[in-house]
This record gives sequence, structure tokens and C-alpha cells, in this order.
Amino acid sequence: MSLFRAEGLVKRFGGLLATDHVSLAVEAGEIHALIGPNGAGKSTLVNLISGLLPADAGRIVLDGVELTALTPHARTRAGLARCFQISSVFRNDSVRDNLLLAVQAQAGSSFRCLSRRDAEHALQERAEALAQRTGLAEVLERNAGTLAHGLQKRLDLALALAARPRLLLLDEPMAGMGPEDSQQMVALIRGLAGETAILLIEHDMDAVFQLADRISVLVYGKVLTSGDAAHIKGHAEVQAVYLGTEVAG
Amino acid sequence: MPERFPGLARRLPWLVLALLAAFPLIAPAFGLEYYVGFVRRVLIVAIAAASLNFILGYGGMAALGHAGFIGVGAYTVVALVEAGVSSAWLAWGSAAVLAGLFAAAIGAVSLRTRGVYFIMITLAFAQMLHYLAVSLRTYGGDDGYGLYTPLALGAWLDGAHAQVFYWVVLAIAAAVFALFSRVAHSRYGHALRGVRDNETRMVALGYPVYRLKLAGFVAAGAVAGLAGGLLASHNAFVSPSIMHWTQSALLLVMVMLGGAGRRWGAPLGVALWLTLEEVLKLYTDYWHWPLGLLLLLVVFHAPQGVAALLERRAGKEGAR
Repeated sequence: MSLFRAEGLVKRFGGLLATDHVSLAVEAGEIHALIGPNGAGKSTLVNLISGLLPADAGRIVLDGVELTALTPHARTRAGLARCFQISSVFRNDSVRDNLLLAVQAQAGSSFRCLSRRDAEHALQERAEALAQRTGLAEVLERNAGTLAHGLQKRLDLALALAARPRLLLLDEPMAGMGPEDSQQMVALIRGLAGETAILLIEHDMDAVFQLADRISVLVYGKVLTSGDAAHIKGHAEVQAVYLGTEVAG
Repeated sequence: MPERFPGLARRLPWLVLALLAAFPLIAPAFGLEYYVGFVRRVLIVAIAAASLNFILGYGGMAALGHAGFIGVGAYTVVALVEAGVSSAWLAWGSAAVLAGLFAAAIGAVSLRTRGVYFIMITLAFAQMLHYLAVSLRTYGGDDGYGLYTPLALGAWLDGAHAQVFYWVVLAIAAAVFALFSRVAHSRYGHALRGVRDNETRMVALGYPVYRLKLAGFVAAGAVAGLAGGLLASHNAFVSPSIMHWTQSALLLVMVMLGGAGRRWGAPLGVALWLTLEEVLKLYTDYWHWPLGLLLLLVVFHAPQGVAALLERRAGKEGAR
């Protein structure tokens, strides 16, 4: 049985059917990429899965546990973490404080209100370990808002990783990156494959073909087809609606 | 300042506390007895402002109904006195608890909204409390209720010194500030600021954002209720005007003048505003004018408040 299943998800915005009975499965340890042209409903789908948008119909199951009725924060606690297309970090705080806030959420109660948080060694160590593996150790004391775009995206990813997810939703982790930053991000994501399954939404086709075990194509809120890279590259309809000359050429 | 006088910034609060503690003893020598009562009022309002600063400055909740909780506290004292209670601690403690309960009920509804809606709904609840007080004939309705016998502090405190109530207020204020500063650096304080800065990300990190906000709202309501109880004793009189919406607005103005989200923002704002009001009233009936100008000046030149201005001077950029 799959680690994660979304079944028959529907989302309407007025007359627009943004998500049209989408079903998806992600296997344990798998990187499942979701591609599709602009406006296909990829970000809506991520918001439905993470719970930031309520679905009109359908269900979501992670590891046999039904998450459909859970609030977004409870879904994170159940093992479903996400990144944001536009980096969502705490811009006025240092990278260290960003990471501390993220690891704090998973380590005991956040209603503790008398002891000094920064004196908790276990939290500091976890934050530093997280910085180490995401390549942020050098910039720990810098303000997150002053970081270059690529580093902010990495911090965004680090915040999601702090939740120790079983399934990680990555909403365009390479968006707006140059080739060098992109390659570093690809390496970083590949390194995660052992510990969490990943649902990857990405426009950068090179990255998708490098990383994904399976690819689903979303068009007009519907899954057009699913398969491995060879299947997608060879799929005539996919080429027509989306890949165009990029693959053909 | 700290470069030239290391440690001054750290010692300054203790120095101020010592001065405040000594004030009732030295005031008579300078003919300033009248101002002991004034400082006491500043301290009480500062307690209420500190609680508002906690949810506004740290939690990002712009509540425009804080005077409502002050009123609940004040009327709790009135109700207990009417019922024959004479212990100050019981009355003030009940004021805090009851205001906390009201805050829990009001917050549970209000915190489902954001921004302007939150401002309006907290205002609406406070106005309901205001009119409830107006309708309470037993407690004087619109005319208010006089507390003719001071509440008993108990044991050796009563009659130990004419200004015992002043020191009690000072001790409570100091404890409240110490508590809020401590909370600000705790796990909870960090989480609350996280909610203020980026609520969506906090949700995605797995934080129960609604419950975090509600806890802060209840704590702030309880402390405001305590301030209301103290204010009732201070004035020896309570009327519905204590929770008029302009009082809530004034409290917001004082917090923002001092610096929302700054440790010393609330007491600075309150002290500055009430002192200027007191001084200007000596010279003119039109004292609102200069205060309005001051507010404009702060908005344009120190939008983060006076505390931020002082911190920048002291070279502690971004300190909170």
C-alpha cells in the first residue's frame, strides 16, 4: 500500500474547477514529481494536501491515517510538511532563530513560558545539525531577510525538514534560481530521498528528470498521465500541452 | 551609551525601580506629595499597557477592547465590596481571574478573525461590556460606584505607612514586567512572535496558532483585569467610563508611542503620555493639541516608538 494517497480531491473557486477529482499516490522513499503548465492547479493541489485550503471533496491518507479532517498544523504533526513557492521564512530573525523556531515546534510543548529557550542545548544542537545538512552553517547568525534568494529557498526547505516529515511537499524549490543554485538544490533534495517521500512540484524540467522516480502531469486540474521519465517524454499529449520543444529539441 | 558606560543599560531598570521605591519617602521633602498618587496611577496604567503590548507587540493582535477587561476587573472589585468582601488580595485576584474568563470567551470568538475585523469585533465586545455596566443599577449605573472604605491588605501591611498601597502597586508592576520579559524569551514568547511575523509558516511548522494566540489573549485580559482592580482601589470609584472605547484607543496610542513589541515600550509610553497630559493641563485647557502633535511627530520620526529610538541611541539595534 502506498505511503500517501490523495483520492478524488476537488476544489472549486466559483465556476472554476481548479482541482478536478485528482487522485495521486506517493510510495515510501519515492520522489514523485508533479508537472503541468501554469494555471494547471499545482499550487492549489499542494494547498489542499497541506490543508491551507479546504477541499470540497476527496480524502487524504498518510501511512494509513486519514488526514482529511485535520487542521493544517495537525497534518504537519502527523508527518506532512511543506515548502513554499515564495520563500516563507521569518525575515527579521536570524537563520538560527528561524531554525530554532522550527525545531521547537517538534520538541515538546511550545506553551512553556518561564525558561529561556535559547539556553536549551538540545534545540540548539538540532538547529545547528539542520543548518549543517542544508548548507546554512556559514550564515547562521545572518538575518534571514538579507540572504540571497538561493539561501532563502534552502532555509525554507530546512524549516520544513525540521518537522521530520514522512511526506515532504516541495512547491517549486528551484523557482527563480540560477543553474548553480539549482544544482545544489537538486543534490540536497536527492540526499533527502532516504528519509522522506517527496511530492515535488517544479518547472525546471532538467531537475525533474534528474530527481523524479515517477512523474504526474496535471492539466486543467486533472491528472493527464503518470509514469516514469521515459513514459512522460514519450507521451504525445504531454508533449503537446506542456513540454513542447524543450524535450523534442 | 553602553560603549561609554558598560552595564548602564542593564542597570538602568534597577535604578529606576529604586528611585520609584524611594519616591514616597523623598517626595515630602520637595513638596511633591501630590505626585505620589500620580505615579501610582502611571504604574497601574502601565500594567494594563504592558498586557496590551504583550498581545499587540509580541502577538500582533491589535485589540481595541482592552479597556473592557480593565472594566471587568474594576467591577469585580465593586461587586465583591458590595457583597461585603474586604480583602484586597481576594478582590484583585478575583478581578484578574474573572477578566481572564471574559478574555477566554471573547478571544475564542474574536481570534477567528483578522486585521480590521479583529479590531472591530474586540471593540464591539468592549462596548457591550460598557453598556452592561451602564445598566447595572446596583452598582450605580452611569453614575458609578464609590468605594468608601479602602480594601484591607492584611497582616502588618495596613497602617504600616500612609503609602503602603503605592509600594504594593509598584511591586505588582515590577512583577508583571519581569514576568512578561521572561515570557518573551521563552519558547512561548518566540512562538507568539513567530505568529505575528508569519502566521502561515507557523501553521506549516505544526504550531497550534489559534491556541497560542488565545493563551496570550487570556493572559493579557487577566493582567488588564488586575490593573482594573487596582485602578478601582486607586480611584476609590468606578464608573462605566473606565471601559469606554476611547480608553481602549488611548491604551493603544500609549503602547505605540512607547514602542509596541519593545520590552520598555508600555511603561515609557504611559509615563510619557500621562506626564505630558499632567504638565500641559497646568498651562492650558487645550492640552489635546500638543499631545496630538507629539503623536504625529512619533508616527513620522519614530514609527517604532520611543523605546526603539532610545535603543538605537544606545546602539542595541533590533534589541527586543
